[in-house]
Amino acid sequence: MIRYLGRRLLQAIPLLLFVSAAVFFLINIVPGGPTAAYENNPRLTSEDIARIEAELGLNQPIYVRYLRWLGAVAHADWGYSLVTKRPVLVEIGERFPNTLYLIGIQYLVTLAIAVPAGTLSAVRRYSVFDHATTTVAFMGQSIPIFWFGLILIIVFHVTLRSPLTGLPLLPAGGMYTIGEPFSLADRIRHLILPVAMLTLANCAAIVRYVRASMIEVLHADYIRTARSKGASGRRVIWSHALKNAALPVVTIVALDLPVLFGGALFTETIFSWPGMGRLFYDSALRFDYALLMSIVMITAVLIVASNLAADVGYAYLDPRIRYG
Amino acid sequence: MTRARLSALAWPLIAAVVGLIVSPAGSQQPRRGGSVTIALYQEPELLNPLIASQTAAFEVSIMTVEGLLRNGPDGRPIPQLAAEVPDQKNGGVSADGKTITYHLKPSVVWSDGQPMTCDDVKFTWQVLTTPKSGAIYTSGYDQIQAVDCPAPQTVVVRYKQLYAPFLSRFGAILPRHATGDPAEMTKWAYNRKPVGTGPFMVTEWASGDHITLVRNPRYRVKDQPYLDRVIVRIVPSREVGKQVIKTGDVDVVWDLIESDVPELKGASGVKISSAPGPSAERLVVNLADPSLDGPSPDIVGQHPHPILGDPRVREAIELGINKREITSKLLYGLASVGTNELHIGWAECDTPTSSYNPPRARALLQEAGWAPGPDGIRVARNARYATDGTRLRLKIQTTTGNKLREEAEQLIIQYMRAIGLEFYIENVPSPVLFGSWASGAFRKHGHFDVVMYTTNPDVDPQSQVEGYFASWKMPTAQNGGDGFNYARYASPQVDADVKKAASSTDLTIRRAAYCEAMHQIVADRPHIYLYNRASLSAYRDRLQGWVTNVWENLPWNAQAWWVTR
Repeated sequence: MIRYLGRRLLQAIPLLLFVSAAVFFLINIVPGGPTAAYENNPRLTSEDIARIEAELGLNQPIYVRYLRWLGAVAHADWGYSLVTKRPVLVEIGERFPNTLYLIGIQYLVTLAIAVPAGTLSAVRRYSVFDHATTTVAFMGQSIPIFWFGLILIIVFHVTLRSPLTGLPLLPAGGMYTIGEPFSLADRIRHLILPVAMLTLANCAAIVRYVRASMIEVLHADYIRTARSKGASGRRVIWSHALKNAALPVVTIVALDLPVLFGGALFTETIFSWPGMGRLFYDSALRFDYALLMSIVMITAVLIVASNLAADVGYAYLDPRIRYG
Repeated sequence: MTRARLSALAWPLIAAVVGLIVSPAGSQQPRRGGSVTIALYQEPELLNPLIASQTAAFEVSIMTVEGLLRNGPDGRPIPQLAAEVPDQKNGGVSADGKTITYHLKPSVVWSDGQPMTCDDVKFTWQVLTTPKSGAIYTSGYDQIQAVDCPAPQTVVVRYKQLYAPFLSRFGAILPRHATGDPAEMTKWAYNRKPVGTGPFMVTEWASGDHITLVRNPRYRVKDQPYLDRVIVRIVPSREVGKQVIKTGDVDVVWDLIESDVPELKGASGVKISSAPGPSAERLVVNLADPSLDGPSPDIVGQHPHPILGDPRVREAIELGINKREITSKLLYGLASVGTNELHIGWAECDTPTSSYNPPRARALLQEAGWAPGPDGIRVARNARYATDGTRLRLKIQTTTGNKLREEAEQLIIQYMRAIGLEFYIENVPSPVLFGSWASGAFRKHGHFDVVMYTTNPDVDPQSQVEGYFASWKMPTAQNGGDGFNYARYASPQVDADVKKAASSTDLTIRRAAYCEAMHQIVADRPHIYLYNRASLSAYRDRLQGWVTNVWENLPWNAQAWWVTR
């Protein structure tokens, strides 16, 4: 197992190098750049723009800039944002907890709904419940977030009022009420809409996986054995079948973990959530190469790590799988 | 009467009304206290106006960082930290125009209690001229020989040569004691928590979420600011911004577009602030042969554009466009019809609005040697530059992903077909259109027929008028692609006017010179002005003291804002 781990980690190095080079060159060949916004500005001459480019180090050939970036990162120096001038890790450090908070809670809610719903769908295949679950799941996956999120805001913030205070029923966005002391109720109120939106969008995939894998497991011999030995239906499903049916779900969830870092752009934008998705999007719009590279690279590392974790977790959960 | 003229007359009136409200004699006393929330779509990158580049940063920093002068709603300078606007009459401008003397208002202090003096102005100049400081807008400051401080409240700025736009310099003064080494400006703590002389000071910045500003207790005007607090909330979705102002969750929404207005107009408690801004959407017409690469003025004269080189064709295009229909159909009547570059501001110049006259346009094209072909599109027959048989077909380009521009393009194509001219579209992403000389951008290199986009002059129009219309501002390989004269327009009259305007410190003389240039440009049509964008914001009716000023950022007079409840 240790050897396996070591080999996988070594394999990851050239992969990450390739990703970093590809992304660095790609974002640099996109038309525009950190000074693109100045090109249509009559207050700046070409000389001014050249000076700003030189100060940002953009006048160097692209491979020199890449090697410099690589050298710095090798020394754990992620550099400074080209736009905010702050250390990249400070920028990420201020946003990452917000994303972890939102996506983490959303994941728990999603699992709490999707696993029972998927299991029940499988047990009562082709029932009204199964059809309803599948329909809602597909709708949730297909509805554009930027549209449905706005509908949620119009309904729960603009139209519906709290019967007690006459104020909007739910806040339109943000993590808390600005300028008020910390209150758990206030935090929860701010979570409801974005978590509902994300859960609706993400439930579908997990419900379908749980359902498919449960159907497969329910036909397995050992389930029949358990049934014939007189175990109750409920016990068979929730304790014998679900345990094995959960295996592929663990993979899906583990592979999804980098989203905890990357954030959810549309949901964060509609609900004014100061998370990583927006940080990434803003840096892309501003051609903030330093910040972009860091977010992409950290995401890449997390994807490699979560893949590895999924494989290792699989071996742990399923004794039939052996890595050597 | 045009909208621009109406507003020029209305501004003093509005200012007087606001003055009445603010003055204690008014019926409505400003109430002290309360809080206002402004919604911004973008988060400021930092709050140091010397290194900020995005508008959002200035929308916030203007409440903290002040300058020697500000721009009034009519675009004329008004004193801020300086006691008066320097001119030759009050002795602020020397006879040769090279030495400018500012007297600072007495006993102004920074929000940390330190006195604000001439030394801070000198420091600001030093920062702006420090190599590699990271400062963005440094032009003009390199023209300064020295900033002298004969007394703490007297600033003497000595320019090397006469610098006409001097009034628009020193719009942000930084404290020497609360900043740091100019060469290390990008690392200053000041950048996120500026110490200023303005009415508010930043106390909290939650990344991506909000910035809190509270009253500066040391602000120089008694009782002001009225508000205890201004919160700047980052609401990244414009659509959501419109919803939260309806519920009063925010009090101000910044930078609306025309199509947002109908929805908000009906909302109770929401007021719309709409004023013509300096931005003008226009067609930039290439007067040179588009196959040439960055031709210089002498080459342009020998190789005009085969179709657009003839002024009659350009006139026909303008007369064939129904500008009024574009503003009413696509812009909800909120934009004014385009006339010239200087349609508002202190240098405002009135030129007649072009008429919509397709018969005259057709006659002009006929006269210019373009006869109708079998499909209605004209073909050259004895045209001035085009060889016989050339089809009257031109490429029109603008930025992709902009619905308004795409719709305007469709209308223009219809108008042009009606007079026998065929436009075909080849839109590109904005970084491609606005690319640099080095990146080979076709606009810079002159490989286009007609491009459509918006640009606007600064409050001092020199850089825009010179940059776009002086013959020496054509981007060429020799000048490294400097300048915005993409039309490759050369007029001895305009060149002389630009030089004249740049050699005087007297706004009346400069305005007359610019206006002469505008009349020439309108006659020659290197640009065809379509419409002037309005500057649009919305605010809740509980907010009092609002004054729209298109030359400054939205909360430019936040010290006079107050709330009724």
